[in-house]
Amino acid sequence: MRVVVVGAGLAGLTAADDLAAAGADLTVLEARDRVGGRTHGIEVAAGSWVDAGGAYLGDRHTRLHALLSELGLKTTPTTMTGASRFALDAGGQPQTRPGRFPPLRAVALGELFDRLDQLATAVRVDAPWLTPDAATLDSLTAAQWAEQNLPHRDARRFFPLFLGELMAADPATVSLLHVAFYLRSGGGAGYLNAFQGGAQQDRVDGGAHQLCQLLAGRLGQRPRRSGRLGQRLRLAEPVRAIHQDGAGATVHAAGGAYHADAVVVAVPPLLADAIEFRPELPVRRAGERTGRGCAVKVHLVYPAPLWREHGLSGWSLSTAGPLLSTVDDSPPDGAVGVLTGFVTGAQARQFAGRTAAAQQAAVRAQAAHLFPQLPPPISVHITDRLTAQYSRGCYAALFGPGDWTRRGPHLTTPHHWVHWAGTETSTEFFGLMEGAVRSGHRAATEILSRYQPAGRSQ
Amino acid sequence: MTVDAVRDIFRRVLEPDASSVGPPGVGAPGIGADSDFFALGGDSLLATRVLSAVARECGVELTFDDLLRAPTPAGLAGTIARTIASVPR
Repeated sequence: MRVVVVGAGLAGLTAADDLAAAGADLTVLEARDRVGGRTHGIEVAAGSWVDAGGAYLGDRHTRLHALLSELGLKTTPTTMTGASRFALDAGGQPQTRPGRFPPLRAVALGELFDRLDQLATAVRVDAPWLTPDAATLDSLTAAQWAEQNLPHRDARRFFPLFLGELMAADPATVSLLHVAFYLRSGGGAGYLNAFQGGAQQDRVDGGAHQLCQLLAGRLGQRPRRSGRLGQRLRLAEPVRAIHQDGAGATVHAAGGAYHADAVVVAVPPLLADAIEFRPELPVRRAGERTGRGCAVKVHLVYPAPLWREHGLSGWSLSTAGPLLSTVDDSPPDGAVGVLTGFVTGAQARQFAGRTAAAQQAAVRAQAAHLFPQLPPPISVHITDRLTAQYSRGCYAALFGPGDWTRRGPHLTTPHHWVHWAGTETSTEFFGLMEGAVRSGHRAATEILSRYQPAGRSQ
Repeated sequence: MTVDAVRDIFRRVLEPDASSVGPPGVGAPGIGADSDFFALGGDSLLATRVLSAVARECGVELTFDDLLRAPTPAGLAGTIARTIASVPR
Protein backbone atom coordinates (compact mmCIF):
# COMPACT_ATOMS: atom_id res chain seq x y z
CA MET A 1 0.00 0.00 0.00
CA ARG A 2 1.40 3.38 -1.02
CA VAL A 3 0.56 6.31 1.24
CA VAL A 4 1.49 9.95 0.83
CA VAL A 5 1.42 12.13 3.94
CA VAL A 6 1.17 15.87 3.31
CA GLY A 7 2.79 17.82 6.16
CA ALA A 8 5.66 16.79 8.45
CA GLY A 9 4.33 18.33 11.62
CA LEU A 10 3.39 16.35 14.68
CA ALA A 11 0.12 15.04 13.20
CA GLY A 12 1.59 14.01 9.84
CA LEU A 13 4.65 12.34 11.32
CA THR A 14 2.59 10.50 13.96
CA ALA A 15 0.40 9.12 11.17
CA ALA A 16 3.47 8.31 9.06
CA ASP A 17 5.12 6.53 11.98
CA ASP A 18 2.07 4.31 12.56
CA LEU A 19 1.69 3.58 8.84
CA ALA A 20 5.38 2.80 8.33
CA ALA A 21 5.30 0.48 11.35
CA ALA A 22 2.41 -1.35 9.68
CA GLY A 23 4.43 -1.76 6.51
CA ALA A 24 3.01 0.94 4.27
CA ASP A 25 5.15 2.28 1.45
CA LEU A 26 5.33 5.83 2.62
CA THR A 27 6.27 9.27 1.32
CA VAL A 28 6.00 12.39 3.46
CA LEU A 29 5.89 15.70 1.62
CA GLU A 30 6.75 18.83 3.54
CA ALA A 31 6.59 22.37 2.18
CA ARG A 32 9.16 23.78 4.58
CA ASP A 33 12.85 22.95 4.60
CA ARG A 34 12.45 21.39 8.04
CA VAL A 35 10.12 19.06 9.89
CA GLY A 36 8.08 20.11 12.93
CA GLY A 37 5.37 22.38 11.54
CA ARG A 38 4.10 24.51 14.37
CA THR A 39 6.70 23.10 16.77
CA HIS A 40 10.06 24.74 16.32
CA GLY A 41 13.11 25.13 18.53
CA ILE A 42 15.46 28.08 18.75
CA GLU A 43 18.88 27.80 20.36
CA VAL A 44 19.06 30.99 22.46
CA ALA A 45 22.45 30.14 23.99
CA ALA A 46 24.87 27.27 23.40
CA GLY A 47 22.88 24.12 24.19
CA SER A 48 19.83 26.05 25.47
CA TRP A 49 16.73 25.57 23.36
CA VAL A 50 13.38 27.28 23.69
CA ASP A 51 10.09 26.51 21.99
CA ALA A 52 9.17 29.06 19.37
CA GLY A 53 6.06 26.98 18.67
CA GLY A 54 4.01 24.46 20.66
CA ALA A 55 5.55 24.07 24.09
CA TYR A 56 3.37 22.95 26.97
CA LEU A 57 1.69 19.77 28.08
CA GLY A 58 -0.20 18.35 31.03
CA ASP A 59 -0.89 14.94 32.55
CA ARG A 60 -4.13 14.51 30.59
CA HIS A 61 -2.13 14.68 27.36
CA THR A 62 -1.72 10.93 27.47
CA ARG A 63 -0.89 10.18 23.84
CA LEU A 64 1.77 12.88 23.76
CA HIS A 65 3.26 11.52 26.97
CA ALA A 66 3.29 8.03 25.47
CA LEU A 67 5.07 9.32 22.38
CA LEU A 68 7.61 11.23 24.46
CA SER A 69 8.55 8.19 26.48
CA GLU A 70 8.69 6.02 23.35
CA LEU A 71 11.14 8.50 21.85
CA GLY A 72 13.18 8.76 25.05
CA LEU A 73 12.31 12.42 25.69
CA LYS A 74 11.83 13.84 29.18
CA THR A 75 9.66 16.65 30.47
CA THR A 76 10.54 19.51 32.77
CA PRO A 77 8.06 21.44 34.92
CA THR A 78 7.08 25.00 34.07
CA THR A 79 7.98 27.00 37.16
CA MET A 80 5.43 29.41 38.56
CA THR A 81 6.49 30.37 42.07
CA GLY A 82 6.64 33.88 43.37
CA ALA A 83 4.85 37.12 42.74
CA SER A 84 3.41 38.41 39.49
CA ARG A 85 3.49 41.77 37.77
CA PHE A 86 0.30 43.39 36.53
CA ALA A 87 -0.09 46.35 34.19
CA LEU A 88 -3.85 46.55 33.79
CA ASP A 89 -4.41 50.30 33.93
CA ALA A 90 -3.44 52.28 30.87
CA GLY A 91 -0.63 54.64 31.73
CA GLY A 92 -0.38 53.45 35.34
CA GLN A 93 2.62 51.85 37.00
CA PRO A 94 2.69 48.05 37.02
CA GLN A 95 2.05 46.46 40.40
CA THR A 96 3.42 43.37 42.10
CA ARG A 97 1.01 40.91 43.68
CA PRO A 98 1.55 37.53 45.29
CA GLY A 99 0.53 34.56 43.14
CA ARG A 100 -1.09 34.76 39.75
CA PHE A 101 -4.35 36.50 40.58
CA PRO A 102 -4.84 39.85 38.84
CA PRO A 103 -6.00 42.96 40.72
CA LEU A 104 -9.52 42.71 39.35
CA ARG A 105 -12.87 41.98 41.04
CA ALA A 106 -12.78 38.30 41.82
CA VAL A 107 -16.57 37.92 41.78
CA ALA A 108 -16.71 39.42 38.28
CA LEU A 109 -14.12 36.94 37.02
CA GLY A 110 -15.92 34.12 38.85
CA GLU A 111 -19.12 34.97 36.98
CA LEU A 112 -17.17 34.95 33.71
CA PHE A 113 -15.77 31.50 34.45
CA ASP A 114 -19.19 30.25 35.63
CA ARG A 115 -20.71 31.33 32.33
CA LEU A 116 -17.89 29.86 30.26
CA ASP A 117 -18.24 26.61 32.18
CA GLN A 118 -21.97 26.50 31.42
CA LEU A 119 -21.24 26.98 27.72
CA ALA A 120 -18.49 24.36 27.69
CA THR A 121 -20.58 21.82 29.62
CA ALA A 122 -23.46 22.17 27.16
CA VAL A 123 -21.29 21.46 24.07
CA ARG A 124 -21.48 18.11 22.29
CA VAL A 125 -17.71 17.86 22.21
CA ASP A 126 -17.51 15.01 19.69
CA ALA A 127 -19.87 16.83 17.32
CA PRO A 128 -20.17 20.52 18.23
CA TRP A 129 -22.60 21.15 15.37
CA LEU A 130 -25.12 18.90 17.17
CA THR A 131 -24.97 20.98 20.37
CA PRO A 132 -28.41 22.19 21.44
CA ASP A 133 -28.79 25.66 19.95
CA ALA A 134 -25.62 25.23 17.88
CA ALA A 135 -26.90 27.54 15.15
CA THR A 136 -27.33 30.43 17.59
CA LEU A 137 -24.03 29.84 19.36
CA ASP A 138 -22.27 29.63 16.00
CA SER A 139 -23.84 32.86 14.76
CA LEU A 140 -22.28 34.96 17.53
CA THR A 141 -18.73 36.10 18.00
CA ALA A 142 -17.25 35.79 21.49
CA ALA A 143 -17.14 39.60 21.67
CA GLN A 144 -20.88 39.88 20.97
CA TRP A 145 -21.56 37.35 23.70
CA ALA A 146 -19.30 39.20 26.16
CA GLU A 147 -21.07 42.46 25.42
CA GLN A 148 -24.43 40.89 26.30
CA ASN A 149 -23.41 38.64 29.17
CA LEU A 150 -20.62 40.25 31.13
CA PRO A 151 -22.04 43.14 33.12
CA HIS A 152 -18.82 43.81 35.07
CA ARG A 153 -16.18 45.97 33.45
CA ASP A 154 -13.41 43.86 34.97
CA ALA A 155 -14.78 40.71 33.33
CA ARG A 156 -14.94 42.46 29.96
CA ARG A 157 -11.36 43.69 30.44
CA PHE A 158 -10.09 40.27 31.38
CA PHE A 159 -11.92 38.26 28.70
CA PRO A 160 -9.72 39.27 25.71
CA LEU A 161 -6.56 38.59 27.75
CA PHE A 162 -7.91 35.20 28.73
CA LEU A 163 -8.95 34.16 25.21
CA GLY A 164 -5.69 35.49 23.83
CA GLU A 165 -3.58 33.55 26.25
CA LEU A 166 -5.67 30.39 26.09
CA MET A 167 -6.38 30.07 22.38
CA ALA A 168 -4.68 33.01 20.65
CA ALA A 169 -8.09 34.34 19.73
CA ASP A 170 -9.47 37.80 19.16
CA PRO A 171 -13.00 37.72 20.65
CA ALA A 172 -14.21 39.92 17.79
CA THR A 173 -13.65 37.23 15.17
CA VAL A 174 -13.96 33.81 16.86
CA SER A 175 -17.28 31.96 17.00
CA LEU A 176 -18.81 31.53 20.45
CA LEU A 177 -19.49 27.87 19.63
CA HIS A 178 -15.80 27.45 18.87
CA VAL A 179 -14.80 28.99 22.22
CA ALA A 180 -17.22 26.70 24.08
CA PHE A 181 -15.97 23.69 22.12
CA TYR A 182 -12.31 24.59 22.60
CA LEU A 183 -12.69 24.88 26.37
CA ARG A 184 -14.49 21.55 26.57
CA SER A 185 -12.10 19.81 24.20
CA GLY A 186 -9.10 20.90 26.25
CA GLY A 187 -10.56 19.74 29.57
CA GLY A 188 -12.31 22.93 30.72
CA ALA A 189 -11.18 26.50 31.33
CA GLY A 190 -9.58 25.54 34.64
CA TYR A 191 -7.42 22.80 33.17
CA LEU A 192 -6.48 24.83 30.09
CA ASN A 193 -5.55 27.85 32.18
CA ALA A 194 -3.51 26.10 34.85
CA PHE A 195 0.22 25.56 34.95
CA GLN A 196 0.67 23.09 37.83
CA GLY A 197 -2.06 20.46 37.46
CA GLY A 198 -3.08 21.88 34.09
CA ALA A 199 -2.23 22.05 30.41
CA GLN A 200 0.94 24.11 30.98
CA GLN A 201 2.39 21.91 33.72
CA ASP A 202 5.40 20.71 31.76
CA ARG A 203 7.59 21.38 28.75
CA VAL A 204 9.70 18.98 26.73
CA ASP A 205 13.23 19.08 28.13
CA GLY A 206 15.39 20.43 25.30
CA GLY A 207 12.41 21.52 23.21
CA ALA A 208 9.24 20.06 21.68
CA HIS A 209 10.77 20.26 18.20
CA GLN A 210 12.73 17.09 19.04
CA LEU A 211 9.51 15.06 18.73
CA CYS A 212 9.28 15.56 14.98
CA GLN A 213 13.03 15.27 14.47
CA LEU A 214 13.07 11.90 16.19
CA LEU A 215 9.94 10.71 14.39
CA ALA A 216 11.50 11.72 11.06
CA GLY A 217 14.71 9.94 11.99
CA ARG A 218 12.83 6.77 12.87
CA LEU A 219 10.96 6.95 9.55
CA GLY A 220 14.26 7.01 7.69
CA GLN A 221 15.51 3.96 9.54
CA ARG A 222 12.58 1.69 8.80
CA PRO A 223 13.38 -0.78 6.05
CA ARG A 224 11.40 -0.30 2.86
CA ARG A 225 9.53 -3.41 1.90
CA SER A 226 9.22 -2.46 -1.73
CA GLY A 227 12.97 -2.15 -2.15
CA ARG A 228 12.44 0.96 -4.21
CA LEU A 229 14.99 3.69 -3.84
CA GLY A 230 14.24 7.19 -2.69
CA GLN A 231 13.75 9.11 0.48
CA ARG A 232 10.62 8.72 2.53
CA LEU A 233 10.71 12.36 3.61
CA ARG A 234 10.89 15.13 1.03
CA LEU A 235 11.42 18.66 2.30
CA ALA A 236 10.74 21.89 0.39
CA GLU A 237 8.07 20.02 -1.52
CA PRO A 238 4.83 22.04 -1.26
CA VAL A 239 1.74 20.22 -2.50
CA ARG A 240 -0.34 22.05 -5.07
CA ALA A 241 -3.07 19.60 -6.06
CA ILE A 242 -4.53 16.20 -5.27
CA HIS A 243 -6.32 14.48 -8.12
CA GLN A 244 -8.27 11.28 -7.52
CA ASP A 245 -9.98 8.61 -9.54
CA GLY A 246 -11.22 5.10 -8.92
CA ALA A 247 -7.68 3.73 -8.80
CA GLY A 248 -6.19 6.09 -6.25
CA ALA A 249 -4.78 9.55 -5.82
CA THR A 250 -2.05 11.58 -7.47
CA VAL A 251 -0.44 14.21 -5.32
CA HIS A 252 1.08 17.01 -7.38
CA ALA A 253 3.92 18.74 -5.59
CA ALA A 254 6.55 21.25 -6.61
CA GLY A 255 9.05 18.51 -7.47
CA GLY A 256 6.83 15.94 -9.14
CA ALA A 257 3.74 13.77 -8.92
CA TYR A 258 3.28 10.99 -6.37
CA HIS A 259 0.76 8.20 -6.82
CA ALA A 260 -0.85 6.70 -3.76
CA ASP A 261 -3.55 4.34 -2.59
CA ALA A 262 -4.27 6.72 0.27
CA VAL A 263 -3.29 10.23 1.30
CA VAL A 264 -3.15 11.90 4.71
CA VAL A 265 -3.50 15.66 4.56
CA ALA A 266 -2.03 16.89 7.84
CA VAL A 267 -1.84 20.64 7.41
CA PRO A 268 -3.92 23.43 9.00
CA PRO A 269 -7.32 24.09 7.39
CA LEU A 270 -6.23 27.35 5.76
CA LEU A 271 -3.35 25.54 4.03
CA ALA A 272 -5.43 22.49 3.10
CA ASP A 273 -7.83 24.91 1.48
CA ALA A 274 -5.05 26.16 -0.79
CA ILE A 275 -4.62 22.68 -2.31
CA GLU A 276 -6.59 22.08 -5.49
CA PHE A 277 -8.76 18.97 -5.15
CA ARG A 278 -10.17 17.08 -8.13
CA PRO A 279 -12.92 16.07 -7.62
CA GLU A 280 -13.66 19.07 -5.48
CA LEU A 281 -14.27 18.83 -1.76
CA PRO A 282 -17.95 18.80 -0.79
CA VAL A 283 -17.21 21.64 1.64
CA ARG A 284 -14.04 23.68 1.76
CA ARG A 285 -11.71 23.20 4.72
CA ALA A 286 -11.79 26.90 5.61
CA GLY A 287 -13.88 29.90 4.73
CA GLU A 288 -13.79 33.67 4.83
CA ARG A 289 -14.44 33.77 8.55
CA THR A 290 -11.96 31.03 9.51
CA GLY A 291 -9.29 32.87 11.41
CA ARG A 292 -5.59 32.36 11.86
CA GLY A 293 -4.51 31.74 15.42
CA CYS A 294 -3.15 35.10 16.42
CA ALA A 295 0.02 34.55 18.40
CA VAL A 296 3.50 35.98 18.15
CA LYS A 297 5.92 34.41 20.60
CA VAL A 298 8.73 36.51 21.99
CA HIS A 299 11.69 35.18 23.94
CA LEU A 300 13.57 37.57 26.20
CA VAL A 301 16.91 36.06 27.14
CA TYR A 302 18.69 37.05 30.38
CA PRO A 303 22.02 35.84 31.83
CA ALA A 304 20.01 33.85 34.42
CA PRO A 305 16.41 33.74 35.74
CA LEU A 306 17.12 37.02 37.55
CA TRP A 307 13.48 37.75 38.42
CA ARG A 308 13.55 34.86 40.89
CA GLU A 309 16.06 36.83 42.99
CA HIS A 310 13.37 39.51 43.30
CA GLY A 311 10.74 37.02 44.42
CA LEU A 312 9.01 37.18 41.03
CA SER A 313 7.68 34.22 39.06
CA GLY A 314 8.18 35.91 35.70
CA TRP A 315 4.42 35.86 35.16
CA SER A 316 2.88 39.15 34.10
CA LEU A 317 -0.30 40.43 32.52
CA SER A 318 -0.59 43.69 30.58
CA THR A 319 -3.61 45.14 28.85
CA ALA A 320 -1.65 47.60 26.71
CA GLY A 321 0.72 45.05 25.16
CA PRO A 322 2.36 44.23 22.95
CA LEU A 323 3.24 41.40 25.38
CA LEU A 324 -0.08 40.51 27.00
CA SER A 325 1.56 37.96 29.27
CA THR A 326 5.00 36.66 30.15
CA VAL A 327 6.05 33.35 31.68
CA ASP A 328 9.32 31.87 32.92
CA ASP A 329 10.48 29.38 30.28
CA SER A 330 14.09 29.10 31.43
CA PRO A 331 15.87 25.87 30.55
CA PRO A 332 16.03 23.61 33.63
CA ASP A 333 19.84 23.82 33.85
CA GLY A 334 19.56 27.58 34.53
CA ALA A 335 22.29 28.33 31.97
CA VAL A 336 20.22 31.31 30.85
CA GLY A 337 16.98 32.91 31.96
CA VAL A 338 14.16 33.04 29.44
CA LEU A 339 10.91 34.93 29.69
CA THR A 340 8.44 33.99 26.99
CA GLY A 341 6.11 36.80 26.03
CA PHE A 342 2.83 36.25 24.23
CA VAL A 343 1.45 38.78 21.79
CA THR A 344 -2.01 37.45 21.03
CA GLY A 345 -5.39 38.26 19.56
CA ALA A 346 -5.91 41.69 18.02
CA GLN A 347 -2.53 42.84 19.40
CA ALA A 348 -0.77 40.14 17.38
CA ARG A 349 -2.24 41.35 14.10
CA GLN A 350 -1.04 44.91 14.79
CA PHE A 351 2.35 43.75 16.01
CA ALA A 352 2.94 41.47 13.03
CA GLY A 353 2.50 44.46 10.74
CA ARG A 354 5.41 46.38 12.27
CA THR A 355 9.05 46.31 11.17
CA ALA A 356 11.45 43.99 13.00
CA ALA A 357 13.24 47.02 14.49
CA ALA A 358 9.97 48.50 15.75
CA GLN A 359 8.97 45.13 17.23
CA GLN A 360 12.29 44.84 19.07
CA ALA A 361 12.03 48.40 20.38
CA ALA A 362 8.46 47.92 21.60
CA VAL A 363 9.28 44.66 23.38
CA ARG A 364 12.38 46.08 25.06
CA ALA A 365 10.54 49.20 26.19
CA GLN A 366 7.74 47.11 27.66
CA ALA A 367 10.17 44.77 29.42
CA ALA A 368 11.89 47.76 31.03
CA HIS A 369 8.53 49.14 32.18
CA LEU A 370 7.21 45.78 33.47
CA PHE A 371 10.43 44.59 35.09
CA PRO A 372 12.46 47.70 36.06
CA GLN A 373 14.38 45.54 38.54
CA LEU A 374 15.93 43.53 35.65
CA PRO A 375 18.76 44.53 33.32
CA PRO A 376 17.90 44.74 29.61
CA PRO A 377 17.64 41.31 27.99
CA ILE A 378 20.75 39.97 26.25
CA SER A 379 18.69 39.13 23.22
CA VAL A 380 15.08 39.18 22.06
CA HIS A 381 13.79 36.53 19.64
CA ILE A 382 10.51 37.14 17.88
CA THR A 383 8.64 34.31 16.15
CA ASP A 384 5.71 35.35 14.03
CA ARG A 385 3.59 32.38 12.97
CA LEU A 386 0.70 34.59 12.09
CA THR A 387 2.15 35.51 8.75
CA ALA A 388 4.36 32.42 8.26
CA GLN A 389 3.61 31.09 4.78
CA TYR A 390 3.34 27.48 5.88
CA SER A 391 1.58 27.97 9.20
CA ARG A 392 -0.95 30.73 8.62
CA GLY A 393 -1.51 31.18 12.29
CA CYS A 394 -0.64 29.72 15.65
CA TYR A 395 -1.60 28.08 18.00
CA ALA A 396 -4.33 26.75 15.69
CA ALA A 397 -7.05 27.83 13.28
CA LEU A 398 -9.88 29.74 14.90
CA PHE A 399 -13.28 28.76 13.62
CA GLY A 400 -15.36 31.80 12.87
CA PRO A 401 -19.12 32.13 12.93
CA GLY A 402 -20.72 29.43 10.79
CA ASP A 403 -17.61 27.25 10.47
CA TRP A 404 -18.61 24.51 12.91
CA THR A 405 -22.17 24.22 11.67
CA ARG A 406 -21.08 24.19 8.02
CA ARG A 407 -17.70 22.41 8.08
CA GLY A 408 -17.88 20.43 11.30
CA PRO A 409 -19.73 17.41 9.87
CA HIS A 410 -16.94 17.03 7.27
CA LEU A 411 -14.04 17.53 9.68
CA THR A 412 -12.74 13.96 9.56
CA THR A 413 -14.79 12.47 6.73
CA PRO A 414 -12.42 11.05 4.11
CA HIS A 415 -12.66 12.59 0.63
CA HIS A 416 -12.30 9.45 -1.50
CA TRP A 417 -8.71 8.33 -0.72
CA VAL A 418 -7.83 11.45 1.25
CA HIS A 419 -7.88 11.27 5.05
CA TRP A 420 -7.52 14.24 7.36
CA ALA A 421 -5.17 14.84 10.26
CA GLY A 422 -3.91 17.90 12.14
CA THR A 423 -4.82 19.24 15.55
CA GLU A 424 -7.82 21.03 14.03
CA THR A 425 -9.33 17.65 13.13
CA SER A 426 -9.20 16.38 16.70
CA THR A 427 -12.23 16.98 18.88
CA GLU A 428 -10.04 15.95 21.81
CA PHE A 429 -7.49 18.61 22.80
CA PHE A 430 -8.12 20.63 19.64
CA GLY A 431 -5.35 23.10 18.95
CA LEU A 432 -2.80 21.40 21.21
CA MET A 433 0.09 19.04 20.49
CA GLU A 434 -2.02 16.30 22.11
CA GLY A 435 -4.74 16.91 19.53
CA ALA A 436 -2.19 16.65 16.73
CA VAL A 437 -0.88 13.30 18.01
CA ARG A 438 -4.39 11.91 18.46
CA SER A 439 -5.39 13.02 14.96
CA GLY A 440 -2.33 11.31 13.47
CA HIS A 441 -3.12 8.02 15.17
CA ARG A 442 -6.76 8.28 14.06
CA ALA A 443 -5.90 8.93 10.40
CA ALA A 444 -3.46 6.01 10.36
CA THR A 445 -6.05 3.71 11.95
CA GLU A 446 -8.66 4.77 9.38
CA ILE A 447 -6.34 3.92 6.52
CA LEU A 448 -5.13 0.64 7.96
CA SER A 449 -8.63 -0.58 8.73
CA ARG A 450 -9.82 0.47 5.28
CA TYR A 451 -7.09 -1.22 3.30
CA GLN A 452 -5.65 -4.07 5.27
CA PRO A 453 -8.75 -6.29 5.48
CA ALA A 454 -8.98 -6.06 1.70
CA GLY A 455 -5.45 -7.46 1.40
CA ARG A 456 -4.13 -4.45 -0.40
CA SER A 457 -1.28 -3.90 1.99
CA GLN A 458 2.07 -5.16 0.92
CA MET B 1 -23.85 31.19 55.37
CA THR B 2 -23.12 27.97 57.28
CA VAL B 3 -19.86 26.09 57.24
CA ASP B 4 -21.69 23.25 55.46
CA ALA B 5 -22.94 25.61 52.77
CA VAL B 6 -19.39 26.82 52.10
CA ARG B 7 -18.17 23.26 52.09
CA ASP B 8 -20.81 22.47 49.50
CA ILE B 9 -19.55 25.34 47.31
CA PHE B 10 -15.98 24.01 47.63
CA ARG B 11 -17.22 20.57 46.60
CA ARG B 12 -19.10 21.84 43.54
CA VAL B 13 -16.21 24.01 42.38
CA LEU B 14 -13.55 21.36 42.96
CA GLU B 15 -15.48 18.59 41.24
CA PRO B 16 -13.48 17.55 38.23
CA ASP B 17 -14.72 19.45 35.21
CA ALA B 18 -17.75 17.72 33.82
CA SER B 19 -16.04 18.54 30.58
CA SER B 20 -12.77 16.85 31.34
CA VAL B 21 -11.29 14.28 29.05
CA GLY B 22 -9.30 11.79 31.08
CA PRO B 23 -8.76 11.32 34.76
CA PRO B 24 -9.83 14.05 37.14
CA GLY B 25 -7.19 16.53 38.20
CA VAL B 26 -8.75 17.35 41.53
CA GLY B 27 -11.25 15.52 43.63
CA ALA B 28 -13.37 16.48 46.55
CA PRO B 29 -13.49 13.54 48.91
CA GLY B 30 -13.44 14.41 52.55
CA ILE B 31 -13.64 18.19 52.47
CA GLY B 32 -13.74 19.12 56.14
CA ALA B 33 -14.54 22.34 57.91
CA ASP B 34 -10.81 23.02 58.13
CA SER B 35 -9.73 21.79 54.69
CA ASP B 36 -7.67 24.34 52.78
CA PHE B 37 -9.18 25.15 49.38
CA PHE B 38 -5.79 25.53 47.74
CA ALA B 39 -4.41 22.36 49.31
CA LEU B 40 -7.46 20.53 47.91
CA GLY B 41 -6.34 21.46 44.41
CA GLY B 42 -8.10 24.80 44.09
CA ASP B 43 -6.34 27.46 42.08
CA SER B 44 -7.02 31.12 41.48
CA LEU B 45 -9.47 30.50 38.66
CA LEU B 46 -11.53 28.08 40.75
CA ALA B 47 -11.25 30.48 43.69
CA THR B 48 -13.11 33.15 41.73
CA ARG B 49 -15.93 30.66 41.23
CA VAL B 50 -16.16 30.08 45.00
CA LEU B 51 -16.47 33.84 45.41
CA SER B 52 -19.10 34.22 42.69
CA ALA B 53 -21.11 31.39 44.31
CA VAL B 54 -20.87 33.10 47.71
CA ALA B 55 -22.03 36.36 46.14
CA ARG B 56 -24.94 34.62 44.43
CA GLU B 57 -26.04 32.67 47.46
CA CYS B 58 -25.72 35.27 50.21
CA GLY B 59 -25.17 38.59 48.51
CA VAL B 60 -21.70 39.17 49.98
CA GLU B 61 -18.88 40.18 47.66
CA LEU B 62 -15.57 38.98 49.03
CA THR B 63 -12.16 39.55 47.50
CA PHE B 64 -9.57 37.04 46.37
CA ASP B 65 -7.44 38.05 49.36
CA ASP B 66 -10.35 37.23 51.72
CA LEU B 67 -10.19 33.66 50.49
CA LEU B 68 -6.40 33.59 50.71
CA ARG B 69 -6.63 34.71 54.35
CA ALA B 70 -9.42 32.24 55.21
CA PRO B 71 -9.19 29.38 52.73
CA THR B 72 -11.27 26.84 54.72
CA PRO B 73 -15.06 26.38 54.96
CA ALA B 74 -15.00 27.35 58.64
CA GLY B 75 -12.73 30.33 58.00
CA LEU B 76 -14.68 31.62 55.02
CA ALA B 77 -18.05 31.18 56.79
CA GLY B 78 -16.58 33.32 59.60
CA THR B 79 -15.48 36.00 57.12
CA ILE B 80 -18.93 36.00 55.55
CA ALA B 81 -20.62 36.33 58.95
CA ARG B 82 -18.35 39.22 59.97
CA THR B 83 -18.90 40.97 56.64
CA ILE B 84 -22.68 40.70 56.99
CA ALA B 85 -22.51 41.92 60.61
CA SER B 86 -20.42 44.93 59.60
CA VAL B 87 -22.91 46.11 57.01
CA PRO B 88 -25.34 48.59 58.57
CA ARG B 89 -28.94 47.55 58.08
